[in-house]
Amino acid sequence: MTIVWSGLALGAVYTLVAIGYNIVFISSHTFNFAQAQLMMVGTFVAYTGLVTLKLPILVVAVTATVAVMILAGIEEIVAVRPVRDHQNQLVTTLGAATLINGATQLIWGSEPLTVPFFGSNDPITVLGGRTYPVEIVLLILAVVLVVALGRVGTKTMTGLALLGISEDREAALLRGVNVRALALGAFAFSGALAGFLGLFVGPKTFAVATLGSALAIKGFVALAIGGFGSLPGALVGGLTVGLVESFAALELGSQYSNIAVFVVLITILMVRPAGLFGRTRERVV
Amino acid sequence: MRIRSSALTAALAVTALALTGCSGAGADDADADGGPYRVLVTGGISGQGALAANAQTSVLAAKASAEAVNRAGGVGGRQVEITVVDDAGDATTAVSKLREAIASGKKPDLFLNSGPSTITTATLPILAQNKILSFNIGPTEDSANPEKYPLNFDLASGPSENAETIARYIKGKGYQSVGVVHGSSAYGEVFGQAMEDALGGEGVSSTGSEEYDTAALDMTAQLQSLKNRGTQALVVDAYGAPLGYLLTSLQRLDWNIPLIGNTSVAGTSLVSKPAPDGVLGTPATANLVMHALSSTVYDANDTAVNTMVDNMTAMGDIPSTLILADNYDALPLVVAAANKTGSSSDPEALAEALENQEVLDGAETAFSPSYHFSADSHASKPGDEAYKFVPPSPLLNGQYGNPSA
Repeated sequence: MTIVWSGLALGAVYTLVAIGYNIVFISSHTFNFAQAQLMMVGTFVAYTGLVTLKLPILVVAVTATVAVMILAGIEEIVAVRPVRDHQNQLVTTLGAATLINGATQLIWGSEPLTVPFFGSNDPITVLGGRTYPVEIVLLILAVVLVVALGRVGTKTMTGLALLGISEDREAALLRGVNVRALALGAFAFSGALAGFLGLFVGPKTFAVATLGSALAIKGFVALAIGGFGSLPGALVGGLTVGLVESFAALELGSQYSNIAVFVVLITILMVRPAGLFGRTRERVV
Repeated sequence: MRIRSSALTAALAVTALALTGCSGAGADDADADGGPYRVLVTGGISGQGALAANAQTSVLAAKASAEAVNRAGGVGGRQVEITVVDDAGDATTAVSKLREAIASGKKPDLFLNSGPSTITTATLPILAQNKILSFNIGPTEDSANPEKYPLNFDLASGPSENAETIARYIKGKGYQSVGVVHGSSAYGEVFGQAMEDALGGEGVSSTGSEEYDTAALDMTAQLQSLKNRGTQALVVDAYGAPLGYLLTSLQRLDWNIPLIGNTSVAGTSLVSKPAPDGVLGTPATANLVMHALSSTVYDANDTAVNTMVDNMTAMGDIPSTLILADNYDALPLVVAAANKTGSSSDPEALAEALENQEVLDGAETAFSPSYHFSADSHASKPGDEAYKFVPPSPLLNGQYGNPSA
């Protein structure tokens, strides 16, 4: 059961990255390669607030949320908005990711920094397996976010407008949707979420300049397994990647864990090319 | 007509540059034993992760050594001129920078690689082709082989040497059923195999060697696998954040066994900082000892090492542990060789002198108390007495165990 918990905790982190990818993808069909880097910045801001400045947890949460939201907003204005073609946006967001990696290293250095968790840091036993409280919180956050954002996407006007932009940008414009503002808003929201989540991801992963790269690939695989644009897919995909990775490392050796993850990915894509929860039909909005 | 004149101008410029290049080569010859002793140092100063801080320490060590050697009269009377290039830990960049330096007409007399073994692999053929004396801190399988690279010397001890020292320590402690966990880096993989071989060589039973992906965030599965096989002591290779993940995973498994960390562990700042900045003083490090050269551990009576530290701190803060300050010893070794040969311009003669134990014993090295290069091997082989096994403690000037830290 300990291996199950460790796999689920890893999967929860991948899910949180994949949720960020999805928010931007659903709203503008843009894949933000820098999403994992935004979360990495969140962990660094959390470290600075909690350890260096010794600020109260709520102040740190707000600071991390706002700081990364602004960063994501800048990314949208500088790296996404001027480039209309989604393929080219892959390149510019990748450039943003590289810039953020370099900047974090310049500001916070290259050594791993410990982000304290506001709860207990001691392992606990749950259902016969050992895990950390922060890992349980990460799992809960992943599930809550998927459910909450799913409802926002289908039950609110803003959510429906975002889906509309995703399906047909020009049609949405003709229906009076402020496409520019909403695209910026979705980007900023994904950044705000990444910043806030840094407070919870940091205690699991450390704040370290290599974190973005480590999370980006697995987050992408989680998204591909679950299906681009599907929030439940992100959850299932993330947890699948985490569990496959852990069990493959235990049973086959870690040199096979990445291979096992990609075998699962390819198998799923062969059976369902759009991913487990991906849709091949256009949505009715 | 305008195009033709442009072409003519370009042709003239190219010819002029070519001639300048030739005159540069001539100047190079004229510099022999007369001009500055040129040292090219590459390091991953802007590299990823812990690489950057360690590269900065490597470069600082080279600069401090050059300053000290210049104060004492230089290399065979020539003042040392250091050029530092940032290769970002990337082999392609290191190769480009080295080729640029060679083509500049000011070919380096000495090349110091402060980076990982991937850079050693990429640069050694170029250095051999251009007959440039070199030292490196990232040994590879054949970097210490004089038949292949007669002008290269490994300052850092290789995975096999380190593993053998650790295995002797383990045997001395009486540990049995020892497991190894190592990263998927080039060094980690070689170290994992070397450690298993060394344990076998000392008659210590091994429960196996488990690898983890250096980009992984959790090592619970690998450790669980070793625990299931009855491992009673664990040799750890981990550098940077992976060490933190490994210690967290050990705690998750509630597995309290003796941990013997290699030099990668000793080079990670997490273990030298108390919580919440690091993991020093937490239960995770309670069972940990680290394999490190004696210069990485403070000793008030070690004059050579303390002078090295003073020389380095006079030029800047030491940003990481001293385990990568190997470059400090390169110039004293060359000085000793130049004194023996009476010249600093013949790399082959200098290399031959460096195979002479008398020359090595006479070199005023500090990072490592002794080197044992020979005609058969250019591996450093400092011997067991050059190493210590230390528990984690706060760092002061890159050293563990300083009571003032």
